[in-house]
Amino acid sequence: MKRFLILALAIAGTTGTVIAQEASAPTRKLTPAEQAQLDIDNKGRATPMTAEQWLARRSGGNQAQRKSWEPTPPPPDPRDFTGLWQIPGGNINLIDEHGEAAPFTPEEAKKTQQLIDAEAHGAVLTDAASQCFPHGVPRLSFAPYPVRFAYVPGKILMLHEVAHNLRLIHLDRKEAPKDTPQSFLGYSVGHWEGNTLVVETTHFNDKTPLDFHSSHGTKLKVTERFEKQKTSQGYTDLLVRITIEDPDHFTKPFTVVRRWPYRSDMEAELGSDGIQEYSCEENNRNVDVSSDGKVIIK
Amino acid sequence: MKFVFKPVLLAVTAAMVATGASAADSDSWSFLPAAQRPAPDTPNFNGKWAMQTPIRALKTADGKEPPLLPAAKAKYTANQAALKANPKSDPIANCWIQGVPRIAYAPYPMLISQDKDRVNLVYETNHTFRIVSLHRPLPKWDDSLDPHWLGYSAGHWAGKTLVIDTIGQNDKTWLDYSGLPHSEKLKVEERYTLDGPDKINGELTLTDPETFSKPWSTRFTLVRQPGYDLKESVCVRDHKM
Repeated sequence: MKRFLILALAIAGTTGTVIAQEASAPTRKLTPAEQAQLDIDNKGRATPMTAEQWLARRSGGNQAQRKSWEPTPPPPDPRDFTGLWQIPGGNINLIDEHGEAAPFTPEEAKKTQQLIDAEAHGAVLTDAASQCFPHGVPRLSFAPYPVRFAYVPGKILMLHEVAHNLRLIHLDRKEAPKDTPQSFLGYSVGHWEGNTLVVETTHFNDKTPLDFHSSHGTKLKVTERFEKQKTSQGYTDLLVRITIEDPDHFTKPFTVVRRWPYRSDMEAELGSDGIQEYSCEENNRNVDVSSDGKVIIK
Repeated sequence: MKFVFKPVLLAVTAAMVATGASAADSDSWSFLPAAQRPAPDTPNFNGKWAMQTPIRALKTADGKEPPLLPAAKAKYTANQAALKANPKSDPIANCWIQGVPRIAYAPYPMLISQDKDRVNLVYETNHTFRIVSLHRPLPKWDDSLDPHWLGYSAGHWAGKTLVIDTIGQNDKTWLDYSGLPHSEKLKVEERYTLDGPDKINGELTLTDPETFSKPWSTRFTLVRQPGYDLKESVCVRDHKM
């Protein structure tokens, strides 16, 4: 759990310091959905984030630090994802690639707003992840911890530090086998389109949220497109485009975009080539809170 | 969510071993990006494996009781009594991460993902994985090293044998289902050698001066599971969802 504390401090710390945006990206006015999310994220913060700081998080955080993050560059092969990628913090939301709110159904919009309001009034939100179940997708793809990609014949593995979440992407199957059970992380099949790894995941249970506030059902289908991409400064991101479809919760498919910076500097940290032990089991913080009447189980 | 640690899976594993198809899925390194491929003659452990015979109580290679020191023997007896009184006395019944070497011979399938720099040992049980570096040494083992459930591992090749050394574990795990204890001074050496395409001979040496009167060794066998895909296995203590 060490990294959790370090990250919490880092996130707290960055609110008071400068997070430079991608040099080439002009600062723009937040859309109403983004402004609403920023207001939620700033709730209770001693030093609120600026719009620039908040936007920068979606493009991988502090570009000024990037030199120290890549003491060795990633392998040049565009289909070689081996190595560590750091999922940036402060981005657990469903703002789409155009800065618009997700196309909620009226019912889901209402439920999402209820949770946002409850949290604003002091409720402690708990979800599958905070009880040590696997995070779900794309909730896992927003969790600010490193992930390592690895290969086995016919499959790609995503080894996430957070709560040792493990994703298995089947390149040797076109679709999930018959009778595949529902699960927290679903069943993923993948294929290459050019140098983009396309991963389609289905067979989710309905026990995980998509972010902190929005839910999904068992019809959820998540399509992720992973692509190595150079930043304007020559560093490497994994560009992650996440398309979410669930007709029971959203009126149409929508796509959120994230960038995961390459972090070869973390490989030498104590631990296992940069993925530290994360024993969620030791710290089930939200499990016992239910007796005080302030908990909402999503 | 029910506990997934149930012996019922043992039967599944045994059935898969019995059908024993051949190993078609790891004949070469072509599945790896070129920069990650080891030397061509490196033993290739990639694929899916499971224990040939589950281990309930760990014995030495010649079938004897481990050489427990008196205090450790008393602890072992107490653990056995506790287990008899309440099966949940076993740390893994409370969903704690299994330590090394117990995870290595857990009675569930596992996956090995190997490239030139590391061996990832991915165990189905409670989605537990170990990333074993082949190019970074073990950390210095002193009081400043924070004990971990799976400790700290580093691997190297001794000829055709993959050798993994593990130090720095906490003392909250058991070595087997019978309650065999260990201390934070436990050092584990795992040696894995391919025996044909579909079998791995595993050899363990346990050194723990606070638990055992001398280092001792034992063996186990992993068998390839070509038709099996790892399932999502989740264990969360005292919780329903």
